[in-house]
Amino acid sequence: MNATRYLFFTGKGGVGKTSVACATAMNLADAGKKVLLVSTDPASNLDDVFETRVDQQPTEMADVTGLWALNLDPEEAARAYREQVVGSYRGLMPEAVIASIEEQLSGACTMEIATFDLFTRLLGDSAQMAGYDQIIFDTAPTGHTLRLLALPKAWSGFLSASTHGASCIGPLAGLSEHRKRYEDTVSALANATLTTLILVAKPEPPALAEAARASRELGELGLTNQQLVVNGVLETDEGDRVAAIFKQQQAEALSQIPADLKNLPRHVVPLLSVPPVGIANLRLLVERMRRPGAGETGKSIVYREDSVAKNVPLGLEPVVADLDRRKRGVVLVMGKGGVGKTTIATALALALAERGHRVHLSTTDPAAHLDLALAGAGVEVGDGFSVSHIDPVAEVAAYREEVMGTVGAGLDADGRALLAEDLASPCTEEIAVFRAFARTVDRVEEGFVVLDTAPTGHTLLLLDATQSYHREVERSTGEVPEEVRRLLPRLRDPELTHVLVVTLAQATPVLEAARLQEDLRRAGIEPAWWVVNQTWTGVPTADPVLGSLSWAEGPWLDKVVKTLAKRAVRIPWQIKVPKGREGLVQLF
Amino acid sequence: MKSVAIYDPAMCCSTGVCGPSPSQELARVATDLQRLIQSKVEVKRYNLSQQPGAFMRQDEVRKLLTEKGPNILPIVVADGKVRVVGRYPTTAEFEAWLVEVERVAHK
Repeated sequence: MNATRYLFFTGKGGVGKTSVACATAMNLADAGKKVLLVSTDPASNLDDVFETRVDQQPTEMADVTGLWALNLDPEEAARAYREQVVGSYRGLMPEAVIASIEEQLSGACTMEIATFDLFTRLLGDSAQMAGYDQIIFDTAPTGHTLRLLALPKAWSGFLSASTHGASCIGPLAGLSEHRKRYEDTVSALANATLTTLILVAKPEPPALAEAARASRELGELGLTNQQLVVNGVLETDEGDRVAAIFKQQQAEALSQIPADLKNLPRHVVPLLSVPPVGIANLRLLVERMRRPGAGETGKSIVYREDSVAKNVPLGLEPVVADLDRRKRGVVLVMGKGGVGKTTIATALALALAERGHRVHLSTTDPAAHLDLALAGAGVEVGDGFSVSHIDPVAEVAAYREEVMGTVGAGLDADGRALLAEDLASPCTEEIAVFRAFARTVDRVEEGFVVLDTAPTGHTLLLLDATQSYHREVERSTGEVPEEVRRLLPRLRDPELTHVLVVTLAQATPVLEAARLQEDLRRAGIEPAWWVVNQTWTGVPTADPVLGSLSWAEGPWLDKVVKTLAKRAVRIPWQIKVPKGREGLVQLF
Repeated sequence: MKSVAIYDPAMCCSTGVCGPSPSQELARVATDLQRLIQSKVEVKRYNLSQQPGAFMRQDEVRKLLTEKGPNILPIVVADGKVRVVGRYPTTAEFEAWLVEVERVAHK
């Protein structure tokens, strides 16, 4: 690969961005380049990968000549930013005031902007950067951040007379003197001779869809020099049934690859029998990347740790039994996209209905309805069992239109542009679906309500704060709907609401789920169960690569069971994709 | 009247209008403020989560916030005096202020 000076890796959590970035960095260093690897991934384990302590300063990696690495933690950056805003007012302002400010600065926006700030500081440090031929980042800024920074209103007069109040750009408001630095970074990103964007995906539909979205969005901003890495392709074939099915599922996903990705230069990274941790294993990955299809050769180290995996109950039955004791309840199935929330929510709803409960299933995936209707099972959608669909796209469009038509009407053109971009923020979707969510939860009066989507604790706290002050304003008009007023107390009641955190037994998904749990706890909601989906422990396969996956997931299952979950179950990887009743009952 | 300052509560990062049903109220305020700006009144708006310093620098605002907590917001200050507390001014109040502005301008 004839690499540009900057390489940015992007992709959904858990696709292996950091691993591929590390291997790429090692490959370039081996070729005689002087390489700086920058990790901003909070789950990054560069210390283990390179067997060298990595901190915020570039450190040369032992045993890899020419490779320096540094670790920047966006959570730490966001914390530092919050402290910079409120630190000097601690003790001067009441605790409640400090808390309300901190909550405002705990959202996804703050972390995104804080991370971008780290990028720009590093790229702007030309004295330090001059020493390297290649600079590799294991994450990339989002389209939302880049678009926001390109708006004139984001910089002009924001502090003095922002008539619409707040913005995603807020976290940068105190830093407007660095405008030039931000602009330089954005133009370096859009320079195809300087920057390559590398989209990393697993050969699975959700990861490919996410890569396609990023490709389109960042392409529109001028980051057109893109390449695709498909990571984790199974190449062994020793007549094993599970391996054959697994390979077929991967091939199917790749044959339906989204149009945006089809014409990009594509690199295939094989699935390894070892986690890419430690110099020897990483070197193996580099070898395999250079010659895909050649089979696994060379020395590798297999980690075999004592794991509690085998003691974690298999299947959803314990969860169903726990719910079955009750007459009604709200079941929130939460987690990042692609971990299997809709499937698990659908299976739980089906099981509760089969045990004679009145059940309402609400899903953001329109296919779930069809899936049940076509199941031809003992449970028919109708008597005592209903399904509704929350369409996030339609909800967001309606919400945007409403806000632009009301608040937007009072603003000038630049103000409207900033408002429109704020409405493209990650929080907007949550706020937009919130009303539909509150309405659905209200049906708990009738029985069980199972939802495959729910607002984060951060959003619930913000909306609750907004509501408490609007309550004063609107006491007479009664504009806050009753179901919204009842919502948070209901969600906080552990007898009524049961949160299932769904994750995969891998580093980043577990970290993301832990963060979600923290966030819910801030809002006074305690998750009842963790569901670790698609585990390999105990899956009957003779394939050496697939077989080794159960060793790799052991430490993550341990972490979930020992430090994160009150109660946990795991669901093994399914030979048959769980669809229809027949497929869904596999999960019990 | 020469200046109006709005001390907003800590507002959401996405639009400042998030919540189950607040958009009408904030929209009206934004529109009314725009009219003040057109009449050459200096309008400033401070968000607790982004400019807490402004809340500490205004003595009356600091006192109210320290004694009553964040739910006392919004506070509206005109020409250095607290005029409205715990809500936004009504359109009628804004109009009365506009009349004041006009009167001063014609003197």
